[in-house]
Amino acid sequence: MSTSQTPAVVMDNGTGYSKLGFAGNDAPSFVFPTAIATKGATGGSGSGSGRPAVAQKPSFLTGGAGPGGHLSAKRGTEDLDFFIGDEALAAAKGPGYGIDYPIRHGQIENWDHMERFWQSSIFKYLRVEPEDHYFLLTEPPLNPPESRESTAEIMFESFNCAGLYIAVQAVLALAASWTSSKVQDRSLTGTVIDSGDGVTHVIPVAEGYVIGSSIRSIPIAGRDITYFVQSLLRDRGEPDSSLKTAESIKEEFCYVCPDIVKEFSKYDREPDKFQKYVVDQGAGRKVTVDVGYERFLAPEIFFNPEIYSSDFLTPLPEVVDGVIQSSPIDVRKGLYKNIVLSGGSTLYKDFGRRLQRDIRNLVQERLEMSERRAGVKSSGLEVSVITHKRQRYGPWFGGSLLGQTPEFRSYCHTKQEYDEIGPSIVRRFALLGGPGGTA
Amino acid sequence: MLLLEYHSLLIHQILTERFNGPSPASIDQVIPDFDGVIYHISTPETKTKILVSLSIKCYRDLLEFGAMKVLQREYGSYIVEPEAGYDFSLQIDLEALPAEQEARDDLIHRVSLLKRNAMAAPFERAFENHYHLASEASKFTSESAPSSSDTEVMAIHYRDEEAIYIKPSHDRVTVIFSTVFREETDRIFGKVFLQEFVDARRRAIQNAPQVLYRTDPPLEIRGLPGVQDTGAGDVGYVTFVLFPRHLKPERRDEVISHIQTFRDYFHYHIKAAKAYMHSRMRKRVSDFQKYLNRAKPENADKERKTASGRSFRQT
Repeated sequence: MSTSQTPAVVMDNGTGYSKLGFAGNDAPSFVFPTAIATKGATGGSGSGSGRPAVAQKPSFLTGGAGPGGHLSAKRGTEDLDFFIGDEALAAAKGPGYGIDYPIRHGQIENWDHMERFWQSSIFKYLRVEPEDHYFLLTEPPLNPPESRESTAEIMFESFNCAGLYIAVQAVLALAASWTSSKVQDRSLTGTVIDSGDGVTHVIPVAEGYVIGSSIRSIPIAGRDITYFVQSLLRDRGEPDSSLKTAESIKEEFCYVCPDIVKEFSKYDREPDKFQKYVVDQGAGRKVTVDVGYERFLAPEIFFNPEIYSSDFLTPLPEVVDGVIQSSPIDVRKGLYKNIVLSGGSTLYKDFGRRLQRDIRNLVQERLEMSERRAGVKSSGLEVSVITHKRQRYGPWFGGSLLGQTPEFRSYCHTKQEYDEIGPSIVRRFALLGGPGGTA
Repeated sequence: MLLLEYHSLLIHQILTERFNGPSPASIDQVIPDFDGVIYHISTPETKTKILVSLSIKCYRDLLEFGAMKVLQREYGSYIVEPEAGYDFSLQIDLEALPAEQEARDDLIHRVSLLKRNAMAAPFERAFENHYHLASEASKFTSESAPSSSDTEVMAIHYRDEEAIYIKPSHDRVTVIFSTVFREETDRIFGKVFLQEFVDARRRAIQNAPQVLYRTDPPLEIRGLPGVQDTGAGDVGYVTFVLFPRHLKPERRDEVISHIQTFRDYFHYHIKAAKAYMHSRMRKRVSDFQKYLNRAKPENADKERKTASGRSFRQT
């Protein structure tokens, strides 16, 4: 069988960016925006066929070719005229193309566009024959099973892919944390803090299964930090306060401090903490922007949201603690012991350390209180936040890690099984790399 | 995107990055390509020495037809001993790159065309044979020209179940693809698609090579090892007849690239056609749903009253 040696294709399609690559590699081969530019300013009217919807009434007899249309007149190739990723953003700036983001809030909204996005990803970028490869796709937690089924329909019926596994992003992020030296036992129990561009999720996972009822979302993520940096720059009246500048300042300079008040006085004492950022505005113009307190204030909105937002006020450590407290009591210990970070907005220096300290303080307080009440000494509770090198593309890396194991194929649903049972087959998947797996 | 690219986009991207990047970093990536080709791009010794290895199913076939000559011509001094598990390896030393940007770009481009060049050997050989035969044949009058049945047929088993057969003769080069469809729907799409190929010549593009499609082995390859006529018709044979005007030396490279990607192109378009069908179906379903919604009586259970103010109740 020709599929026996080919590496599995791992695709992590997120709201903002798609990560594509092959299992066994240590980084995704392609990372580009999940965007598609199609002809016509439809921008996602649902038809997506690239040509005007001509049929005014059901035209059974003309076979859907529109009134009076002969099939030979429809030999155009408009449906192939589209771009994805960075090329889509470039094309959308020119005339004639409309851009659409087929994934909203982690879930696929426009299946037409997604199907073509995949088509181009597979044939143009990854250059593989889907019939020869197994595919590992990801889905957000609480993805409706119907959405899974539609994904399977496209993967099996359009692309005839050899096998398919759809994994939950949080579980893959846990698997990615196995590369950290702090992790001794490769368990699939833990709390995943997944902070991307749009939203931050706190997801408890027990033995590879997501505890759906305890998931909490926080409306503070990467984009909000950028906006916050931007507003600070504007308040100070810096010469350049575009979103792009704010974003690069965020990525280059920001870190998490242990205590804001002390940090402020530290800045007063050490003026070299203030930095300069040179913005190239194009056409040879360069301006210098001062970078000051936003270096530690920006990521601080996770810990003190009141400095940024007036309607969401719970700090991240409290949310994490709340999530774990609402989970079944017998897994809480495991959840505290293995708090895994994932996504681009968790990359700030000392983010994990601060989180661990804050959560530990919360837990300690509660323990002391119960000790006083019960009069019995507690054996203590280990809290540990895992940071590792693969955080940025955590889910993708976890997928790559699991996709290269020899057992991976036996967990997949194959084309034959799909043909036998139908789309409902993907409602259940065997647990990848779970207890008992040698992964 | 109508046509597929010939080169590996990823190799192109990685090398461009490395050639122009400030500091070398270690790489270890496995990159598959169409038809079970696998590249391995790594930096085994030092970060400045990039090793690009290629594993291709039909390497033995290709060697037999002079692949080494073509690869030697294209890559020359970059060739090194093949990495274990792979068929062919190149090593690029970042410290010994050509100085000019153009030469670097050319090198990147050539490396990313590794698969194409490896597969090109039999085609080139067939074309050479054709030139030779043509010059031989020109010595004869058209009636007494030697029959072309005695030239060799080159078979490249580039996939498990599929192969390319190339047969040069004095007035044409015949390229035959055997295709297998794993699925019924694909076969039907494929048939329609190939019919278009056959018709294209009649309708618009007179210069196109002649294309024939049949489900039993064509005469040229009948009797070759590995070609069985099962009679079931599950293997299709697509024949391209390249005439001398396609075989002019200045067009040669492009023709080879085009014809190599035929299978991938073919399958890509079958899949794209299905995607198009699906979007039409989705559109139709949503249209019908609109009709259904419109057909719903707006206030079905409105209370109806008699003149005296009493209401009827259904029991």
